[in-house]
Amino acid sequence: MLNSLRLFAGMACLAALALLGCKPSSPAPSGGASGTASATRRVAVVVSTLNNPWFVVLAETARDRARELGYEATLFDSQNDPAKEAQHFDNLIAAGYSAVLFNCTDAGGSVANVRRAKAAGIPVFCMDREITANDAAVSQILSDNYSGCVALGQYFVEQVGEKGTYIELLGLIADTNTWNRSKGFHSVVDRYPDLKMVAQQSADFDRSKALEVLESLLQAHPNVNAVFCGNDAMAMGAYQALLAAGKASKVKVFGFDGADDVVRSIAEGKITATVMQFPKTMARSAAENADRYLKGERNFPQRTPVAVELVTRDNVAKFGDYGRKP
Amino acid sequence: MATPSSEAPPRLRPVAWPWWVGAGLLLALFVIYPPVRLVKRGATASAAGGATAATFSAAAWVETFWRDRLQPAATRAPELAAFLQTLRDRPSAARSGSGKVLLRGSGRVTAVERNRVLVEVEGALVALVTGPVFGNAVRDGSGLVEVNDVPGLAEFNEVSAVINRLVEERVQPGIRAGARPGVVLRFAGCAEVPEELPAAPAPLLSLVPVWVEVTP
Repeated sequence: MLNSLRLFAGMACLAALALLGCKPSSPAPSGGASGTASATRRVAVVVSTLNNPWFVVLAETARDRARELGYEATLFDSQNDPAKEAQHFDNLIAAGYSAVLFNCTDAGGSVANVRRAKAAGIPVFCMDREITANDAAVSQILSDNYSGCVALGQYFVEQVGEKGTYIELLGLIADTNTWNRSKGFHSVVDRYPDLKMVAQQSADFDRSKALEVLESLLQAHPNVNAVFCGNDAMAMGAYQALLAAGKASKVKVFGFDGADDVVRSIAEGKITATVMQFPKTMARSAAENADRYLKGERNFPQRTPVAVELVTRDNVAKFGDYGRKP
Repeated sequence: MATPSSEAPPRLRPVAWPWWVGAGLLLALFVIYPPVRLVKRGATASAAGGATAATFSAAAWVETFWRDRLQPAATRAPELAAFLQTLRDRPSAARSGSGKVLLRGSGRVTAVERNRVLVEVEGALVALVTGPVFGNAVRDGSGLVEVNDVPGLAEFNEVSAVINRLVEERVQPGIRAGARPGVVLRFAGCAEVPEELPAAPAPLLSLVPVWVEVTP
């Protein structure tokens, strides 16, 4: 009996030592006022995907602004996979990063990752995509998607008319941006009973999926007047599908994001409209919030909506490079 | 001849640790690294979207806002006529802040259209929206609602939708019933300040009315 207890105690000691060895090699930041960004401080930029130019701009701007502020900054691509995102958080917590600039894959599911980082003393600053908790991230810099799609919906009615049929391509189902955009759009369009949505399907914010989904939907609904897409990547995929079906000149395509290729397509008359959200503004603000936090500031509003702007053929000359031209 | 037992190396005697050392270490381990963690129910709910988000009622919130904050604010809003003068003279100053404003004024109806009523205010033309109300002109223009007043962005948007519905239910019917060319309207409403001044004869501002009084 005594031998067993001794063996168990020895194993417990070994386990304790092993767990101690798992602690971050550099201490987690206390968030105290260091005054300047130490050379050893590192910022992680965790982004939902780098398979979409808009998110590449968001992530690289956040990384570059963090570097300008004196931090080492590293990109982590979650590839739209919550499991990969969770692994990134495991790694960055173990590695003792000072802060996370975060674009989540799942509004609800990602909250646990943010809480784990917070528990480890690593503050998280959300960019563009909301998490559904008010006490996990330090701040959330978010696009005002609903308002943008209200404006887009009004322009949609102007362009398509008060009578017709349309298809909606939704983004990621678990992302609140998907629904804020859809609800903003429908808050307008649903007021016109003769404007009928004949199909609504997710294409995961992905260009290739949008192409496939719309090709399939056009078989069942060949005479639609318009396609409303929850982002610009899907709008480009939808346009390709319409082009292949010989309907590009007859069906109006609406996007959201303000991606460069779509802004050019609006100027060329291929896409009807998009909504410019400002990834560079959001990324810089998140990085600057992180810097201020690490220097001791604590008074941050939980959510800060960033205004968006409707881009049409009438005003497209004012926009480019993911924002307004100077 | 030496016996084998006398030539064998001495055996190491195992150290006899007291049993309570192991038990103490084990206890310390469980205290430092507990195998389970107790959390409050509220914390779990918050992680899943928040109990407050689940129980938030935009209709109830807006009802209180409309009665206790918006209507009193409408009675002391800046004068429309003075704002229009600033808009013409210094458009950038007029657009400061959120770009949306709450104003009050009075004027004579010049035309009644399908979705709006045109009103002349000291020589300038404005429109009162009488058709479907979209957007956040009232929510943001009032300057009284902030995104962090409600659980999240979805609720913030819902607030806007409910406010717009109340405008359609409580304010617009009075305008549609009483507005005819020549009639004087006293009103308060919210508008998005245009980036560029519209060319005449288009109205300078389009206001979503939150209060109106018709004088025949």
